[in-house]
Parts: sequence; structure tokens; C-alpha cells
Amino acid sequence: MTAGVAAAAGLVPAQAGILPEGLNVSFKLLPAILVSGMLAIFLAIGYVFKVADTEGMWVAGRSIGNVENGMAIGANWMSAASYLGMAALIATSGFYGLSFVVGWSTGYFILLIFMAAQMRRFGKYTAPDFVGDRFNSDTARAIGAITTFLIGFVYAIGQARGMGLVGLYIFGDLGILGLSGYQSMVVAMMAITVGYLTLSGMLGATKNMAVQYVILIVAFLAGLYVVGFTNGYSTVLPHIEYGALFSELGREFSEPFVNGGYYLWIATAFSLVVGTCGLPHVLVRFYTVENERTARWSTVWGLFFICLLYFSAPAFAAFGTDLYASEIGPVYGDPGMTTAAGDVIVVLAAQLSNLPTWFVGFVAAGGIAAAIATTAGLFITGSSAISHDIYKNLINEDATQRQQVLVGRLSIVALGVITTLAALDPAAPIAALVSYAFSLAGAVLFPMFFLGLWWENTNRQGALAGMTTGLVIWMIPMINEVVPTYGILADAAGADGVLSATLAQWVPAIGSALVAVPIVFAVTIAVSLATPEPPKKTKQMVRQCHSPEPMGQQQTAEDAISDDGPTPADD
Amino acid sequence: MTDNDTHDSTDEPTAAADGVPGSEATGGSSDLKSDGGVASAGQAHAETDYLSSEVNLLKPSTPFMRDHLRIIWTGFAIWAVVVFAPVTATVLAPEAMTTTMPVIGFPLHYFLVAIGAPGGALLLAFWYARKRDELDDKYDITHGGDGA
Repeated sequence: MTAGVAAAAGLVPAQAGILPEGLNVSFKLLPAILVSGMLAIFLAIGYVFKVADTEGMWVAGRSIGNVENGMAIGANWMSAASYLGMAALIATSGFYGLSFVVGWSTGYFILLIFMAAQMRRFGKYTAPDFVGDRFNSDTARAIGAITTFLIGFVYAIGQARGMGLVGLYIFGDLGILGLSGYQSMVVAMMAITVGYLTLSGMLGATKNMAVQYVILIVAFLAGLYVVGFTNGYSTVLPHIEYGALFSELGREFSEPFVNGGYYLWIATAFSLVVGTCGLPHVLVRFYTVENERTARWSTVWGLFFICLLYFSAPAFAAFGTDLYASEIGPVYGDPGMTTAAGDVIVVLAAQLSNLPTWFVGFVAAGGIAAAIATTAGLFITGSSAISHDIYKNLINEDATQRQQVLVGRLSIVALGVITTLAALDPAAPIAALVSYAFSLAGAVLFPMFFLGLWWENTNRQGALAGMTTGLVIWMIPMINEVVPTYGILADAAGADGVLSATLAQWVPAIGSALVAVPIVFAVTIAVSLATPEPPKKTKQMVRQCHSPEPMGQQQTAEDAISDDGPTPADD
Repeated sequence: MTDNDTHDSTDEPTAAADGVPGSEATGGSSDLKSDGGVASAGQAHAETDYLSSEVNLLKPSTPFMRDHLRIIWTGFAIWAVVVFAPVTATVLAPEAMTTTMPVIGFPLHYFLVAIGAPGGALLLAFWYARKRDELDDKYDITHGGDGA
């Protein structure tokens, strides 16, 4: 095992004060303006298109079509993990990095054939709402809410790492007392994120994700094309032309299974596929579409827009790796490219091509904007899970609007603080950190969505048992591999930083859903069979999700079965 | 929700599919049929009470569900091959899979995984959405807002 994958799998403790070698760390005015400009555009467009609430959106007769929603899916998807992290793992871990490309794109097909239209018909778009209503249980709702909160937290650690690293290029070493340059940047960027969140909240800005997608993809593709062209790597189609580089890149770039074996590859890809189908912020994209047919076609478009980035990332990684080798030093071996440099390879490639600062800054700004926008979205989802699903539903049923808002704000601050703390000394590269969140979504939420929609006899007891099992199985490798890197249980961990190497090999944190999903399915099904069937009303909701009969725009499956028959769709 | 009880007397998976009398009670479905579907699939659709037909991935209970699941499983099988076959083949036959492809210069396994799998999933997604639309046509279903 080389350093690349050992770290990728969370096996090596990250060294404090990570610094991407070769990156030009200093304050640069134009790039700083570009980052602020991108965020300002997101806010301004959100403000212009603002709607008071979703009902308002329907009343205004505005519904989102295939292409626009497809772009929104793409924008939602494009976090620092796609923008920076994927190219990073391809550069440092070679063929293993491709499991991320595969998992994060092909999962959408599974989402499409099994869940997209059915979710649209069910009409509940947050994970706690879905499990709460499908399984008639406030406990299930609470587990769903806790899972959503945890996903937001773990997912955001990766984003914070990305912002911290790329921020070094744009803002330089801020030198906040006692902290390293990277750590200062994490603190600063998280402060900006919470500020952005507050502003977008105050302006009532619903993010216009289609515009966001266009800005991000343009920044990424412009970077790829210009880097490819100025270095003579490529002309019109860098996505294929990087093939010519393979002979020069070093064996490690493409040779299979040198960095991580077949099992780890499959576990990672599988985990990312099921995670895609279980992530709460993917579901919500079906909220504003006109009908189930739009839900299907916008998933197809979404996959297309995601593929635009995903075909580009390996090419970008190839260019970056080649430039690194010629300008900085050997990419593989000891010391080789650090994971920190890998995580900024997209920016580094542009910088090493001697492109103007503003252009490199533009590419970097895209990465930061992707990270901030995604983190903001995750924090909103996480805080509403706490304020609405846990506080209002379970703790204080008579909570006033003001109390709920207060709890929501507090949970955003809490999320910001714990994410910042966890990101100061992150356990793994961006993509690996984010994949922990995918393992969680895949292990806990995916089986509930899948069985909940496809087997009407899945009941409350089955769901509770299944979700609990999923949470436990997810936590075991996290404690085994990730917790020791934060100094807790570090004494018990071996030299490789894990408590049990065998466990880490077979149930890697990065791909634990491969083990968890079959077990959670089995537990859920067994318990459901052993306990009474769910009530008829619940079964009818499930049936309504699969009926080909059109439904009204604002109708949920629950409404449909309580009305006398389905309402014509065009009322 | 007492008003449901009128047409929920049967819970037999096969009852609706066979067009048992009385399963037509789903109020609104007749509106949709008013433009006259003579096709047998459309007829079957009109006679199916979807709210009384069990949903079980492994036991489709309505003609529509059977047709739909045939498409889903076909797509799923092809997807599994597209996504996991190249990497598996690379373990089994590393020599053959890592040969350099002519013209573009990619090692075969790298190309199949980096471009083949996401591209394949995209084509499959397009194929599925088309097939599913054809299914709507077959069962005389129109969705509001897209040319209904």
C-alpha cells in the first residue's frame, strides 16, 4: 500500500499544518474579488428570483422543467468533492480514484429506475419526513433527523478542507494566532460560509441552482481547456486526448490495484452508488418539478450535466500530474505528491501552466464557491432536521415559530463550530471525507427509501431495527479508522493508526455500505415479517407511488389516497 | 379516512390484474379514459385499482407493474455489467485488460471505467426514460403540463 491510498482510506493520521507543496500561497486581489463576486452573484440571483415559500412558487405558476432541474441536480452535486477531490484521488491513487468517478455518476441510474418518480409521487422530500410518514413513527423520524444532521456534518468536513486548501492560494496565510496557514483559512472560510448562509436567509434568496451550475462548470472546463491547450496536451477534446499522456505519466497513474485492491475498489464504488440514492439533498431536487415524468427526465439531464464534469476530472488529474512531475518532483513514491497538493491539483495545474493570476483565481474561485454553496445547503438541511423534526416534533410540541428559528440558528452555529474543529486536522483527503457521509446515507437511508417504496409490508419495527443496525455498522469502522486520527483512542491504535487492521480491510470506513446494506436489508425484512403488517393506509400510500395514474402538482401520495380517487393532473 | 373503505375490499394481488368486477372503483380513472382507449393495455389500466394492488418488487401485481419491472430489471442487469464487469475483468485478466488502445492511447481498463461506465449509465438513463414514456403511451396515460 502506498501513502496515497493509505491516507485515502483514512489509515494514516494527517500531519498537522498540512500545506500543499508547490502552491503559491499569498494574498491575491483579483482572485479574492472573483470569489466574492461569484458568491454575490449567487445571492443576487437568488434574491431576484426569490419566492416566499414553495407554495408561492406554485401559485406563481412557476415550475421547473427538465433541463433546469437537471442543472440544479448538477449544482447540488458539485461540491468540493467533485470539483477538487475527485481529480485529487485520481492523481494520487490512480485507478482507485476512478471508483469515485464511477460511484458518483452511475448511482444516478439506480436513483432513476427505482426511486426518482416514486419519490416525486410520495411527495415528501426530506429524509425525516419520508421515514416518519412512511413508517408512522416519530422515532423513525428522529433517527432520520439525526442521520441527516450527521451526514451534513461529515460531508461538510470535506468541504471545509477544500475551502481551507484552495483559500491558501487566494488569501494566503492569514496567520490567525497559533494556527497554521491552513487552519486559519478553515476558520476564516467557515466564518464566510455562515455569513453567506445568514445573508441568503435574510434576503430570502432561494438559490438559483441552474445559474450556479453554469458558473461552476464554466470555471472547471475553462481551466481544463486552457491548461490542456497552453501545455500542448490537448486541443478540442481533452477528455479523450489525455490518453496520449498515459505512457509518460508513470505506471502508478493507470495500473490497476496498486493503490488499493479489488475489494476496496468495489466497496467504495458500491458505497457511493447507494449513498447517492440515500442522500437527503439529492431527494429535495424532486420537490419543485412539475410531475413524475419531469422527475425522470431531469434525472437523465442531471446525470448528463454531472458527466460533463466527471469526464473532465481524470483529464485534469492527468495534466496536473504531468505538470507536477516536471515542475515539482516525482508524483509517486517517497515523498511523492502529498494528499494536500492532490486536493488542489486542479488549481495547481493552472498555476504551474504559468497562466495569469486572475485565471488561476477563477478556477480556484469555482472550487470555493462549490464548497460554500454546498456547505450552506447542508447546514440548512441539518438545522431544519434539528429544529423541525427533533425539537418541534419530539421535545417541545408547542414550540413557537420564534423558538424554532432560535433552535435552527443555534444548530447552524453548532454545525459550523464542530465542522471547523474537525476540519482543522482532517483525517483524510476531501473525497474520502465526503465518502464517509455517503457510507452513512447508503447504510441508513437508502434501505429505508428502497424498501419503503418497493415493499409495502415494510413496517415501523422493521425500519427502526434496520436504521439502528445501519447506524451501528457505519459507526464501527468510523471509530476504528477515523476517530484515532483525532487523538481519541490513539493509544489503542496500532502503528498504522487503526484499532483493527483486519476490520479496516474488510469494513473500510470509505466503503462500509457494501457490508451494511445487505445486513440492513436482511434485518429490516426479517423484522417486518415477524411483526404485524403496516396499516392499510400506509400500504395505499406505497401503492399510490407506483400507480401510473397522473397526480396533481401539489398532491402527495397521502392526499391522493384520502381524496376520492386521483385528481386529474391538469387542474 | 373512512371514505377509502368503499373500494378497498380486495387486497388480493391478482384480483385487480385479472379485472375482477368491482376493482374499477377508483373514482378518477374513468375521466382519463374518456378520450377512448381501445388498446387492451389501456383497458387493463382502466380496470386496475392500483390502490388495492400489492406493491412488492419481486411480485408485480398489475400488468403495468409487470411491464415496468421488466424494463427496470433489464436496465439494472446491463448497468451492473457496465459498472462492475470492466474492473472485475481487470482482476481476472490483467494482461488483456491493460493493453493500450489504438489511436487514443488509453489502457483498455482505464477507458472502460473512466469513460465507459459513466457514459454507459448516461445512455442507459436515456434509454430507460424513453422506455418509460412508451409505457405511458401503451397505457394511455398523459401527464399534465407536458402536452396533455
